[in-house]
Amino acid sequence: MRRYITRQLIQLVVVVFGISVLAFAILHVLGDPVLLLLPQNAGKEEFERYRHLLGLDRPLYVQYWKFVSNAVLGDFGKSWYADTPAFKLVIERMPPTIYLTFAGLVVALVIALPLGILAALKRHSWLDNLCTAVAVAGQAAPIFWLGIMMIIVFSVRLRLLPASGYGTWQNFLMPAFCLGAALAPITMRLVRSGVIEVLNMEFIKTARAKGLAEPTVVIKHAFRNVCIPVVTVLGLQFGQLLGGAIITETVFAWPGVATLTVESIRNQDFPVVQCAVILLALLIVAVNLIVDVIVGLIDPRIHAA
Amino acid sequence: MARVATLGAALLLFVALVTPADVLAQSKDDTIVYALQSDVQNWDPPNSVLRESIILGYNVFDHLAARDLKTGKVGPSLATSWKAIDDSTWEVKLRSGVKFHDGTPFGAKDVKASFDRVLNPENKLTARGNHAKIKSVEVVDDLTVRFKTDGPYPLFVERMTALVMQSEKVMKEKGHEWMQDNPVGTGPYKLVKWSKKQEHVLVRNDDYWGPKPAFKNVRIRIIPEQATQIAELVSGGVDIIKAVPPDQMDVINKSGQARTTTSPILRTAMLQLDQAGRSGPNPFQDVRVRQAANLAVDIDSIIKHVLNGLGDRTATTVNPMAFGFDPSVKPYKQDLAQAKKLLADAGFPNGLEVGFLRTQPTVEPGLIQTSDAIVSDLAKAGIRTKARMVGESGPQTNLIRDSKADPMFEWSWGYYSIFDADAIFFDVMTCNQPYSYYCNKAFDDLVIQGRSTLDTKRRAEIYAKAQKLIHDDAAYLFKWGLRGVWGVSNRIDYEAPKDEVDRMWAVTPRKK
Repeated sequence: MRRYITRQLIQLVVVVFGISVLAFAILHVLGDPVLLLLPQNAGKEEFERYRHLLGLDRPLYVQYWKFVSNAVLGDFGKSWYADTPAFKLVIERMPPTIYLTFAGLVVALVIALPLGILAALKRHSWLDNLCTAVAVAGQAAPIFWLGIMMIIVFSVRLRLLPASGYGTWQNFLMPAFCLGAALAPITMRLVRSGVIEVLNMEFIKTARAKGLAEPTVVIKHAFRNVCIPVVTVLGLQFGQLLGGAIITETVFAWPGVATLTVESIRNQDFPVVQCAVILLALLIVAVNLIVDVIVGLIDPRIHAA
Repeated sequence: MARVATLGAALLLFVALVTPADVLAQSKDDTIVYALQSDVQNWDPPNSVLRESIILGYNVFDHLAARDLKTGKVGPSLATSWKAIDDSTWEVKLRSGVKFHDGTPFGAKDVKASFDRVLNPENKLTARGNHAKIKSVEVVDDLTVRFKTDGPYPLFVERMTALVMQSEKVMKEKGHEWMQDNPVGTGPYKLVKWSKKQEHVLVRNDDYWGPKPAFKNVRIRIIPEQATQIAELVSGGVDIIKAVPPDQMDVINKSGQARTTTSPILRTAMLQLDQAGRSGPNPFQDVRVRQAANLAVDIDSIIKHVLNGLGDRTATTVNPMAFGFDPSVKPYKQDLAQAKKLLADAGFPNGLEVGFLRTQPTVEPGLIQTSDAIVSDLAKAGIRTKARMVGESGPQTNLIRDSKADPMFEWSWGYYSIFDADAIFFDVMTCNQPYSYYCNKAFDDLVIQGRSTLDTKRRAEIYAKAQKLIHDDAAYLFKWGLRGVWGVSNRIDYEAPKDEVDRMWAVTPRKK
């Protein structure tokens, strides 16, 4: 286990370094940030003065080195736009996004687990077909469209939920469902095929032969084995979920890190983008580490090997 | 199994714990909710270039002068009167008995400190360029200030509406960092809470020197998505939204919950024709081709049918609300025969083809549709365009500044809220400005003359000449002044502001 974690940590350093180089390069290709920082009627000297103040007149490798040497010490610099430390900006916006992705995850599980198991047990029945249809529809519906449709139905027509905002449990419902709905189909298909596979295994036949009741067989013996691929895939999907959060956050005016990142890319606010990209990369790697640990808990054989 | 159950329980507990309960203790009756598409970077208006900062600034701070929305003229605010003592000195008298939100009295030292702060290059404040003509500020007595300017500065009065007055004490005792998040103004509202990217909560300043706002609380919510803003408006969650797309006006007006209101705004739209040859040699360097382009297009019917009337035809680039606008200069009228003749005279009897740099309608509503209509009118006269589309207006601006635009491109100018012809003439139309693709010495001379005298009558004459000149020279393909569309809840009375600054203290409950 320890060797495994060490290896993961080394990988992490490589990943973060790669990402920081990529983000740095792409941002510099995008254009001149000073143009967006100053009013359009600013004169030439004003542009030059600003470029110098931000260090943009120095060679790229010097700029990169300066950034890396400070970032290692936890100093990502000040946002050019907001005049506050980039790290503070990003950290402040992190919790709403994490809550939202976890809520999305919970919604996905609540939909996917029962439906997936049912579909597997009643294979090729009308129920299974219905579940497949729902899965296809769920996968095909763009998050953006789904979000707006939910707002029209639940806020404008029925006046049941606030159309947007953050702070109360009512605010959570639509965004979480929206995000969860995107993840549920793949999870459901996975649960279904997992259950079908496991139910054909010898130990299930043994359990049935012992005379155990069918629910006990499914839940206690089969389900636990299905959990392993599901948890792994959910971990891998976490990055996707963060991507979906960008759209969900925008539609529902959710004050999260995903919208902050997109906005900072638009403003070419390099320090904030760098900081957000690196912290999000860390988060994704951390989630995958946790997933590995959970998988180990579910099936101790995996890490013992 | 037990482990799975524990995990599940932990997950549930986590979700339960992180769900914050932040219920605002205001009743709906004494609160207005205003939506913005994006948040400000700070609460220090001179340190921002965003319109949102100007708007928020107006509600919490005061300026030396403010625009009267009825007359469109600049009138007193924290300054009660001003006069030019000589060509480069202005004397300003201040209002007495005004207090900052922290209780300190407002006076001449605060005016000096506010201007000194923005003018000092070391402070890196982005608004510095707007006030750079001011050389120094002197305190004469507690309520009198003198400004020394670098030569005659006719925009001085206009620019008094563009800098908020901040407290000297706060600058000294709290400093720049603190001021980014904590506004201490003299304005009609005070900031109570700012949840970044989420909302601002303001409460009425009961010690305000001016008329008291009707609503006690203001919530300014950040809602990036336009469709969501409209949904909030028609479901009663928000009271005022701005920049409603023309095709969504019906949705709002038929909802029974809200209505739209429009106002001309200080932004003129045009197509730049590369007279200066910055994109390389091109047909528009010939005045006849530029005139032909103006004669080819039926702008009036585009405004009427494509924009649903949401535009005000202009003969030149000067907005009808700006000082110096001359209504006697008449816009071009469509005349295809004359356009073809001019093209033939210029050596293009079979027409010509030029590149056209286009962008998204982020600033200008209906841009894609109106440009399509213009393209088809131009083609009728023989000017065929080859479009190049750039997704965002930022990169388009980059290309233009770096002389990489096509001979024709979409452009509009918002005057930085200065209601004066100089604000477009000097910044975008004189030779060698970053965004100018027009260069005409005779015109430049007039612009310089116009900004070198304080005599308003003389200035008006100079600008009338300048407008005649650029009209006859067909400096651009002239389009129209834009109109803004606001969505307003039926529970309030509110008129769309000409300067695009939403003043929450001007909102009143709707009379039944």
